[in-house]
Amino acid sequence: MSDYLLEMHDITKDFNGVKAIDGINLRVRRGECVGLCGENGAGKSTMMKVLSAVYPYGTWSGQIIWEGKELKARNIRETEEAGIVIIHQELMMVPHLTVAENIFLGSEPRTKAGFIDYDLMNAEAAKLMARLKMGDINVALPVYNYSGGKQQLVEIAKALNKNAKLLILDEPTSALTTSETQTLLDLVKEFKANGMACVYISHKLDEVSEIADTVTVIRDGTHIGTLPMAELDTNKIITMMVGREMKNLFPREAHDIGDVVFEAKNISCWDVTNRERKVVDDVSFEIRKGEILGVAGLVGAGRTELACKLFGCWRGDHEGKVFLDGKEIHIREPRDAVKLGICMVPEDRKRHGIIPLMGVGYNITMSVLKRYTSGGFIQSEAELAEIQNQIIRMKVKTAEPLLPIASLSGGNQQKAVVAKMLLPEPTVLILDEPTRGIDVGAKYEIYKLIFELAKQGVAVLMISSEMPEVLGISDRVLVMGEGKLRGNFINEGLTQEKVLAAAIGQPVTEAA
Amino acid sequence: MTLTKKDVRKFLSEYKIVALLIVIAIIWLFFGYLTYDSDLGGSQFLTPRNFSNLLRQMAITGMLASAMVFVIVAGEIDLSVGSLLGLLGGIAAVLDVTYSWPLWATILLVIALGLFFGVMVGWLTAYLGIPSFIVTLGGQLAFRGMVLGLTGGITIAPVHADLKFIGQGYLPEWLGNIGGVLLFLVLVFLAFRTRANRQKHSLTVSSMPAEVGRLLFAGAIILGFVLTLNDYQGVPVPVLILLIILAVFTVIGNKTTFGRHIYAVGSNMEATRLSGVNVAYVKMMVFALMGLMCAFAGLTTTARLAAGTPSAGFGNELDAIASCFIGGTSMRGGVGSVSGALVGAVIMASLDNGMSMLGIDTFWQQIVKGIILVAAVYMDIVSSGNQRG
Repeated sequence: MSDYLLEMHDITKDFNGVKAIDGINLRVRRGECVGLCGENGAGKSTMMKVLSAVYPYGTWSGQIIWEGKELKARNIRETEEAGIVIIHQELMMVPHLTVAENIFLGSEPRTKAGFIDYDLMNAEAAKLMARLKMGDINVALPVYNYSGGKQQLVEIAKALNKNAKLLILDEPTSALTTSETQTLLDLVKEFKANGMACVYISHKLDEVSEIADTVTVIRDGTHIGTLPMAELDTNKIITMMVGREMKNLFPREAHDIGDVVFEAKNISCWDVTNRERKVVDDVSFEIRKGEILGVAGLVGAGRTELACKLFGCWRGDHEGKVFLDGKEIHIREPRDAVKLGICMVPEDRKRHGIIPLMGVGYNITMSVLKRYTSGGFIQSEAELAEIQNQIIRMKVKTAEPLLPIASLSGGNQQKAVVAKMLLPEPTVLILDEPTRGIDVGAKYEIYKLIFELAKQGVAVLMISSEMPEVLGISDRVLVMGEGKLRGNFINEGLTQEKVLAAAIGQPVTEAA
Repeated sequence: MTLTKKDVRKFLSEYKIVALLIVIAIIWLFFGYLTYDSDLGGSQFLTPRNFSNLLRQMAITGMLASAMVFVIVAGEIDLSVGSLLGLLGGIAAVLDVTYSWPLWATILLVIALGLFFGVMVGWLTAYLGIPSFIVTLGGQLAFRGMVLGLTGGITIAPVHADLKFIGQGYLPEWLGNIGGVLLFLVLVFLAFRTRANRQKHSLTVSSMPAEVGRLLFAGAIILGFVLTLNDYQGVPVPVLILLIILAVFTVIGNKTTFGRHIYAVGSNMEATRLSGVNVAYVKMMVFALMGLMCAFAGLTTTARLAAGTPSAGFGNELDAIASCFIGGTSMRGGVGSVSGALVGAVIMASLDNGMSMLGIDTFWQQIVKGIILVAAVYMDIVSSGNQRG
């Protein structure tokens, strides 16, 4: 029995009588990596919050055995002292503090006089970063100088510094590039070899299958199964997660492609703070009625910046011409774009998508509220009726139509944000990472919706970092790299390798 | 044990206003008991006369708080309202006393100036991006300076009787009665129209007895309110103005796109902007409303004192802000209601009034009010519980 580092038995946690998780078991051996899989809202995060005592002992039922003894932690500090460290999906860095200061935040080494011992701190921090093979990072520079991927590693250094025996990684790679992801996965393997245990939560099942030894799947708050990875493959995991078989991840449907509706010519954008740096460099493209145009590229390729410029929300300098139905249009603010029928679902749902304290329904009608007014007053009943239609149409799972949207799972929030941007009946719809951080089921529904829209003649511009998604959905693929347009391929016989080669700027041998 | 605690918590967070009304009842009973005097034939606090006084005292804070709610909900703050009130009140006094302008002209100009200053503050904040805390802190100094310059540091009196009426007048009994009846009829009409509309869009409606019960309850409150005030001298004019403001602002908050956008801007400005809302305009107009309310409050202050004084409105912004927070408005923006803020204003006024009646020193009054403010916000945090995560 004692070869288990952690055993969680029959964990049940309810919120006002609604069970978020119900009798879940999770066991982790020393030096083992357990993949925890489940759709959004399945209860993975709740489970981890129980483990890390965000929900203190006593607010849930069940038993946690840690190193053979029952753990009754009241706060995160106690679990961290025990050696359980959680790294959240969103980075928890203080951007203006240095790398070293972030690593030692809360446990700063002091000199005898009581001041912070910066020499010791920086030296220790540099050692930690070297252990992570990131020796080239200057630990005395503020964290904001480094990319998301490197910050993620700083976060891990922080965990190592706390002498973590169990590392919980919650969707650690959702903002990382392919190479950064690989570095992270290699590190986790190395930790495992050194005896550290790990719980890996991710929607990216290929990552899970690469590093996990055991996989625990939960669905709707209940324990579906725990199996060694050797007996599983990604398809089996998906089947367990959704409770049904998903043969086709991309529900392709035939749709007609019409004339050019939207044209962007010589678009350039400059960085907001560093005004000399071009983030989008002379990009031109066109999109046709009913066409799904995928935009692939690595993180930092300038895709989001391009989308922002087109939607009128880029804050830095920019230039270039935009045509809708052959006429030049001028978009200064998002509201100009929405009026002209160009809508965008932003990349960062939390910051730019949802209005957290407002009801789901009010979020959905935000962009077209005027429609439900008469004589200047909102006709609440007409609005509510429309809200219910949309909730049913988009399959948003919510107990009440006016429940604050922040209390919904990511996938359902995303559906609501998409609904908000569909109500203005766009002719061009820009989707920036529309399926980031949402579960397989919700993804499938969003793909279906994209095809439905294309059939109706909407031009869809979809930015995505998930290559299979780009290839599975698009009619045509634009590839961006370092701000430039590096490829424009018809999606026939297109391979990931070819797209990637274009993205990193290798010469493409075949003609597009 | 935990269950009952949870239930209470849930009840309080859903019916915040009920909790606040309970607090008012406790405060009134407390002062009612302390001011009991058998020689004078009963409690001195719980009399129609004092009820009338109390409402008149809270009217000015209430006017400011009504618009301050929107400012705070939009994620901003306005520290300049006390000074702006003083300035606009001073201008009203000068026009009325020195230049003997007709009342309508005075009112029109003061309202126009209120809107102008409000738009200006809003423009600086929303379009130029200067934090409202700074803009209005500057405004507080500048407007107070203008008052001092305008009045020359002396009191300007006496104002004409018609202006005085705004601050000191009462509605005749019959008019108060008619007003009460009309209000009740409007409520009945709205309730049934809503039912009809909900049925038209096939949404669920509450049962008929519940609806009638609710209306009868509202009717009883209106009846009690009007009869109590008529028992003294009638409904005071500033209270009437405040009630109209309450109605109008509640409708703005709940029934207009502008109102919806205020809450959205305060909850997540970027997401609101990306939904195609003109967020800068929304913010500017919120400050314009605030300026308008400063005009109303300034006129009422001058009318009530029958004079323009250089110190009029001093510190009123803090009372207004405190009323909002006591009334459940969130510091972080996105949450709050006009009715809540007015209940907050009643709580503040009751404390002032009761303690003055007991002859408690002003310094004690300030200390108590400060403690109540902090305690009220703490209660709010506790009652909204661990829901943030």
